[in-house]
Formats: sequence, C-alpha cells, structure tokens
Amino acid sequence: MSLNIRCHLLSSLLLLVLLGSSVVFADEEKDLRKFAKAQVIFGIQVAQLGLWKEAAYRWEKAVKLDPSNSSARNNLAVAYEQSGEFEMANDEYERALDSNPNNIHIRQNYELFREAYERKKRTDRRSGQN
Amino acid sequence: MRERSEPTDGLVKTKRGVLTASLVAAVALVTSCTRGYYEVPIEVPIAAKLDVAEYKRILIAGFTTQTSLNLDLDSETVRLLKNQLRMRSTLQVVDAELEPLGDFSEPSLKQSGLVEQVEEMEKRARAEGEEEISRQEWIDLEQDKLLEDEDYWQGVGEEYQNPLIITGKLRFGTESRSGYSRSDRYTRDAFNRPRLERSNIFHERTGFTLNAEFYFIDGETGGTIHRERFTEEVIYGRDEQASALSSYFELMDRLLPNFLSILSPQTFRGTRILLQ
Repeated sequence: MSLNIRCHLLSSLLLLVLLGSSVVFADEEKDLRKFAKAQVIFGIQVAQLGLWKEAAYRWEKAVKLDPSNSSARNNLAVAYEQSGEFEMANDEYERALDSNPNNIHIRQNYELFREAYERKKRTDRRSGQN
Repeated sequence: MRERSEPTDGLVKTKRGVLTASLVAAVALVTSCTRGYYEVPIEVPIAAKLDVAEYKRILIAGFTTQTSLNLDLDSETVRLLKNQLRMRSTLQVVDAELEPLGDFSEPSLKQSGLVEQVEEMEKRARAEGEEEISRQEWIDLEQDKLLEDEDYWQGVGEEYQNPLIITGKLRFGTESRSGYSRSDRYTRDAFNRPRLERSNIFHERTGFTLNAEFYFIDGETGGTIHRERFTEEVIYGRDEQASALSSYFELMDRLLPNFLSILSPQTFRGTRILLQ
C-alpha cells in the first residue's frame, strides 16, 4: 500500500473517530439535560408537599448536571430563601438571571427576595450598631 | 311523568356539576403544567437576635422615663410588654413590680434639685473652658449610670432566680410639625380656559415621638448583653384629636414586632414561583 493511500485511510479513520466522539458527547449532553429536568420536576413535586430540603437536594443535583438550567437555579434560590440562607439565595438568583435575564418570573422572585433581604440587613446593621 | 323526571334532572345536574368541576381542575392542571410555573407559599425564618436558650424567666424591671405628657410611661410599658411576652415568648414572665427607676422629665428634675446641680456644673465647665454637654446628653449619662449598675442588677437577678432582665430608657413627647405645603389647583377663567393656581397652605400638625432604648441584662452577672434603640413618630392634623395615650399605643404597636424579634424568631410569609 502506498504512503498516500495509507495517509488517506488514517485521516479518514481520525475523522470518523472525531465525528463519533462528538455524537457521543452531544448525546451525553442531551441526556444530562434530560436528567437535570427530571430532577427539577421532582423537586417541584416535593416542594409542593413542603419537603424543602429534599427539593433543594434535587435542584442542587440539577444545577450540577446542567449549570445553564435557570429554572433549577431559580428554584434552588427559593429553597435557600425558605431555609433562611439569604446569601446563597442571592447568589443563585443572580446566576439564574445571568443565564436567563428576560425571565419575568425569576425577576419577580428576585425583587421580592431583595425586599426581604434588604430589610433583614437593615435590622442586622441596626442591632450591630447598638 | 313530571314527578318522575324531576329527581332525574337533579341527578343530571349533579353529574354535570361534577363533570364541570373535574374539567376545570384538569384544565387548571394542564395549564399550569404547560405554562411551566408553579406559585408556592414560602415562610422565611428570621432567627432571634438574642440567644435566650439559657434563660427560663424574663423580668420587665421598669424604665427610666422622660415625658411632658399626662401618661404613666413606665407602668404602661411594663404592662404592655408583659402581656406581649406572655403571648409570644416561651420564657416565663416574672410577675413582680420593682421600684420605679426614675422620671427624668424637666418638672421632676426641678423638684429633686438636679436642675440646679446641672446648671452649676455647666457654669463650672464654661469657666474652665471644658467641653459643654447638652442637657439631654447629661440626662442620658445619668440614666446610663442607673441602667449599667451591675451590682444593682445582680441583686435583682438573685432575688428572681437569674432571669433575663429588660429595662431601658423611654422618652415620649410632642413636637410641632406644622408647616406650609404647596397646593396646585385647576380653575377656569372667564373664557372657560383651564388655569393652574398655585398656593401655599399652612397645615397645623402635631407629632408624637417615642424614643425607646431597651437594655437586655443577664440576671446572673448584672451585665448588659444587648441594647437596642427604636424611634417612632406619628403626625396628626389639627382636626384629628388624638390623646397622648392613644398615640403612645399606636407607636408601641409599630415598635413591638421589632422588639419581639430580638427575643423570638419571626417569620416572613410570601409566595414565590418555581419553574419547570
């Protein structure tokens, strides 16, 4: 076999491997997003039953699987707010808005949260001064 | 035939009602699912500022007062706080009445001869070129001496089995809040054209102000563990004839949630939206 043919074969094989792996990666990414969405939905179901810790666990998992999932981040922020973890809630709301700045529901949640958070900070500052 | 058909109509109506209700519920479910959001109620816990776990009892020991109004500021506040804490705190409220800590209003100070002493001190300070302090600052310092007397509070603590002691300073008075405010009014001239008339209107108003500084004292050591100051004001127009007592209760009503949040955890209630 000539060197030319060998080179052609090798480059075709390399192209095939690259194409194959990109398909696998794309499939994996799709799967991860699917798993993340399932975690988000399950989290909502348990949050509606008042099981906020379980819900937070599910949304944390969803965020790990798909960091661009703004719904998971929004819900996680609500769960942190519910448990009094204000700074963590603030971070998650901001990340949710970063990835989905035009979502009216995230904005509304964030504005309501800021109102409560600012009030709490004011009270803390006042007691710190005394 | 009619007699028979009536109950059947009722049954049909009930069936129809159930069907409609199920349909509405199903539509609501489907709509919320397709919309992809759910409104949920949340309760945000705000921890108490003070850890009172080591106390079983709480004693409202009375307050130093300053008021020119016809109101027993000390006993009204003690009574109100005792009632609120009985309802909203897990601590046992000690039912005891302590000696009043003292009234620092102008007539009382004159009566006790303290005003003369202060004037004497002020003269001396001026003569020696020392920094002058205002009358109110002097009164505050005198009150602090009483409220920070650890031996006294330790004694009180021993007597009532080392409770958490609440005391402090209360100042309640009125101030004129009268003044001019601009008023715009549209009228029509002889040719029926709209005209803007601007005028300044004098409003006669009175403000009732309550300054409260609460001291939280450890009954075992007599030391102050926490201090917190609140100021509230309510303004009434000339026609609203509010008494000193009703104004006091209005102001205390505003102040109480903040006072209670020092001792017991509070909850903010609201709704948030979960996204699918």
